[in-house]
Amino acid sequence: MRLSPGSPPAIGVLAVAVAFAVFCLTDLARARQVRYLPKWGWALLICAAIPWGGLAYLIAGRARTPPGTGVDVPAAVPGVRASGLRVPRRVSVSAVVIEVDRLTKRFGPVTAVDGLTFSVRPGQVTGFLGPNGAGKTTTMRVILGLDAPTSGTALVGGRRYQDIIRPLHAVGSLLDATAVHGGRTARFHLLSVAQSNGIGRQRVTEVLELTGLEAVAGRRIREFSLGMKQRLGIAAALLADPPVLMLDEPVNGLDPEGIRWTRELFRSMAAEGRTILVSSHLMSEMALTADHLIIIGRGRLLADTSTDRFVSAARRDVLVRSPRAGELSGLLTAHGAAVRPEGDGGFAITGLDAPAIGDLAAVHGIAVHELVPRHASLEQAYLDLTSTSTDHHMRTPAPEGTAVS
Amino acid sequence: MTALPGPALQQAVPSRLARVHEVLAFEWTKLRSVRSNYWTLLIAAVVTLGVTAIVAQSFTSTPAPGHGAAADPLASSFLGYAEYTVLPVTVLAVLVFTSEYASGLIATTFTAVPGRRAVLAAKAAVTGAAALAAGELLAFACFFLTQAILSTHHRGLSLSHPGVPGAVLAAGCVLAACALVGVGLGAIIRHTAGAIAAAVAVIYLLAVFCLILPSPWGTRLGKFTVPFAAYQAVASHPLAGLLSPGLSMLVIIAWPAATLTAAAIVISRRDV
Repeated sequence: MRLSPGSPPAIGVLAVAVAFAVFCLTDLARARQVRYLPKWGWALLICAAIPWGGLAYLIAGRARTPPGTGVDVPAAVPGVRASGLRVPRRVSVSAVVIEVDRLTKRFGPVTAVDGLTFSVRPGQVTGFLGPNGAGKTTTMRVILGLDAPTSGTALVGGRRYQDIIRPLHAVGSLLDATAVHGGRTARFHLLSVAQSNGIGRQRVTEVLELTGLEAVAGRRIREFSLGMKQRLGIAAALLADPPVLMLDEPVNGLDPEGIRWTRELFRSMAAEGRTILVSSHLMSEMALTADHLIIIGRGRLLADTSTDRFVSAARRDVLVRSPRAGELSGLLTAHGAAVRPEGDGGFAITGLDAPAIGDLAAVHGIAVHELVPRHASLEQAYLDLTSTSTDHHMRTPAPEGTAVS
Repeated sequence: MTALPGPALQQAVPSRLARVHEVLAFEWTKLRSVRSNYWTLLIAAVVTLGVTAIVAQSFTSTPAPGHGAAADPLASSFLGYAEYTVLPVTVLAVLVFTSEYASGLIATTFTAVPGRRAVLAAKAAVTGAAALAAGELLAFACFFLTQAILSTHHRGLSLSHPGVPGAVLAAGCVLAACALVGVGLGAIIRHTAGAIAAAVAVIYLLAVFCLILPSPWGTRLGKFTVPFAAYQAVASHPLAGLLSPGLSMLVIIAWPAATLTAAAIVISRRDV
């Protein structure tokens, strides 16, 4: 056991304090010419001391290493120190998985998360999507041990977050970038978090440079824009170079350059074999970043699929415009297609693809002015999926799927 | 990116002491890195010393040394300290928890150190230690200032007088005890306004309430309140009918012990 530099002074101060206290008690006793405590007074003293002993025990007990918590997630302060300014590329061989199993969380009568089961795999960026109030943040808070689940489990690397020693070395997380003390400087904020998990000062400077905050490191956080706070939050999540990264809406408030930077960061970290879970309400951003999507609504799992499959499974149709629209639509219906008129004189055709429609029109000599194969954007697919599960519908007519490619 | 299978994977399980030190460093850095804490302490110190000087000056003009509160040259050293130091420091101690709950930083804290009782204990230790240091410093300053003014009228006490060092040290301890009550109530109540109100009620208003109770009950209950107990501990002539100085110190220690115990029970049982 190595004493840290701060310990000898602390022990010295403690010794002086104890000596002073003993002196103080004997002195008072002498001055008042009384037996300082009656017999029952000592009993009271012991009773009053018990809670203090209990507190001391709790500190020590918390710090004790339970057997078997030997943590197969990389902890490795040496690795942290060694890593350079680029995103450190240490790879976790023992891939760490986030596993959520039949997780339910109720707040009084409100069920925020309802029997949610999914797992987040390493080596890819997983997007965690859902409308407002779907339970994304609650799920993340349960994974981080901040909220206790009503039932079910949420494990990181096979164990509860609370049971991980120096958990920042296992999971880097960002829940709310604005949840910082405005009166503290960025450097001190990061330093305090680093100290809590035995991470050196050098690494604080590294993550400040990595996130482009070194110029404002000495400024108080209340002067920061939302985007700068997001960078600070990401810096804190990266402090221990963890194999798992879990971020709630990390691109909120970032400028386009920052968004691109985070996207590249997540992708490169995933490429190193890390487990990345990123929640967002920006579908377009997720389409570019995430390899895998977990979509929830009202606390229930709606989809757990790769991004590509999700997009390709989305609704497809063909937009047709013709001067003889009525005739053509009758014809298409006769051939098994579903025809849905759109407001501006066009028709959305499903059940037949564009070449078939074109051929059919040509055979019957019907002129076609427009023939556009469309599939729904990720955004639209997402809205279609979640529209039934939103708590608060916006009463505006949803625009139809925009044509892509 | 090439996979670098790693020496980095070797798990270094930190020793217990190392982890205790980590949590303490975490809280100490947070405490010392907020500028308003220093300003509050500085203003409290200046106001305390000013009020102490005024009290000492008015004390010199009383015709004869009598008995009781106003006549005790030792206890009167701490009249300013009892309010203008104890109250602001208690508020700072309340903010140790409530400011984190208000901003949401508490989630970061409990994510970094999931052992919530360890966080509570570390916050209590760091805040208590800082308050003790500030308290002892100001208690001695108040004592020397008062005695310097009184000695011009040949009524001053010297520090070597039996019972004096103990009383001055006890005055410093009272500040630490009140700060710990603040930490505990902040952890329990979580909202700044409510926790400050509760701390003021526990530390000051309970005693005021006891003063208005009918005759025997005022002292019967009052002796267990912080101001009565603190007076007994710091006075050169403790009042009859109240607890002895030693028991009074126990009472003063019992308040933060009870508050922190309650905080330790609730803090790990509820959602952040």
